[in-house]
Amino acid sequence: MAIALLRRLAGAAPVPVFAAIGTGMRAAADDLFLDRRLTRANSIRHARILLVAGPVREADQDDIHRLHDQMLHPRATLWWKANAGPDFAEPTTWDEDDPVAALEAIHRALIDGTRDSEPDTLPNEPPNPWRGKGDYGQGGEGMMGGTPYGRPMAMTDDDLRDGLALDAYTAPFGPFLPMLPPGLKLSVTLQGDVIQTAELLRPPFPQAKSADGTVHALRALARFLPILGLDAHAVRCLDAARFLSAGTPIELTKIRQLLRWSGALAAIPPGIGVIEGADVRIRVERWLAALDESQPGTFEDSATTSPLKSARLVDLLRGREWSEAILIANSFDTETMIALAPVEAEDAEADDRDIEDENRMDHEGHGAGHPPEAHAHGAPGA
Amino acid sequence: MQGLAGALVIALVAASIAAMVRFAPSGFTASLTEPQKTPFLGGGAPDTHAWQRYHVRYYPMTLLFIAFEMEMMFMYPWAVVFVEEGGKAMMEMGMFLAILSVGIVYGWREGIFRWQ
Repeated sequence: MAIALLRRLAGAAPVPVFAAIGTGMRAAADDLFLDRRLTRANSIRHARILLVAGPVREADQDDIHRLHDQMLHPRATLWWKANAGPDFAEPTTWDEDDPVAALEAIHRALIDGTRDSEPDTLPNEPPNPWRGKGDYGQGGEGMMGGTPYGRPMAMTDDDLRDGLALDAYTAPFGPFLPMLPPGLKLSVTLQGDVIQTAELLRPPFPQAKSADGTVHALRALARFLPILGLDAHAVRCLDAARFLSAGTPIELTKIRQLLRWSGALAAIPPGIGVIEGADVRIRVERWLAALDESQPGTFEDSATTSPLKSARLVDLLRGREWSEAILIANSFDTETMIALAPVEAEDAEADDRDIEDENRMDHEGHGAGHPPEAHAHGAPGA
Repeated sequence: MQGLAGALVIALVAASIAAMVRFAPSGFTASLTEPQKTPFLGGGAPDTHAWQRYHVRYYPMTLLFIAFEMEMMFMYPWAVVFVEEGGKAMMEMGMFLAILSVGIVYGWREGIFRWQ
């Protein structure tokens, strides 16, 4: 009796959804979470449903599998205008515009027990057996040797700042990390929270750009502000963007004033992510200027119009603290981001494999990066 | 006597709960699969274990803070007895400050006073 009541209440609660966003679905996925029946989980562990929105690359299917298996039971996946991987038996797909009702129904069925939790797609075994050099698994290289919990220990590397040799942590971040643009996968070597080197594995997915400069700026701000902890302002911006794209006129002066008073600009460290004389703060200021209706036409994102041949995202991230790096990565629109992260579509996979192999052999950063000609190519397709 | 009995009961209850959790069958505690044990990296799998050494950057600042704080803690009671004790107390304070200043000189060498 009491359990049935609790089940019903749990089924009626907002659905925690983790969105893995694919090509062209970023704006739609952002708008989706304005609905009160959903909550956006920033980690897959907090989610009940994995929402794959839009088509993803073949290479990203592995990442989807890992994300899926990291979810706690009971769990489900909804493929929203997306291509389900072959390992998912009887995938639930949704090709309509609004998947909220479908998500709610899945959630309720999961809690009721009428829908079974999805089984693992990956084998339940550690990536490496725990094996050192000694009889009891002890010994070997690194801090204490062996491969505790299936992973080798980090090896030492000289710190970028003072040359102190401490353990450098190399890990791939993305392509569905909520604080990075969807599709962007970086191999980052960290010393504490400072990025020693960053290597591009996969570029971000192309997204449709709003023709209206104001809507574009509002959406960009809505993605940037949560990083500064200003979630309520982000919702305000997203709401305004939705109204504007629907053709409803909306008062932007108040939003601009609120954002100015919020201290968001002061919270951005000056001089980070400088491209053509504009740092992150200046780029955010340009978005704010785009909200100013009294001066039409002042909005011009010079970064998007220039070819940006010389600049690379990985160079901007080098030596930055993690928080600054995330601010930098979110201060560009998707087109600029793709221009800054040039990888040939075919090369990307080969690079990916190379880097993973190299990391397995020696756990050191690879700061040298690609030869220059590898970056002369244009933006890749999805 | 009553307080002692209460304390014993509390200790016993706590110990039995701890024993229950410790020796519970594995189905009682949440068990994670190997994929669930990996950290959340947005899809990627980590190459190395997350257990590692990194530089605690506030360490020299802490050293400086403790050096000056200890100085203050000793100086207040010292100031009370200084008039009675005279030269002996002066000597003691000199020795104490000499030891502390070794730490400060070390910090100076490490660049504590450079503003970054």
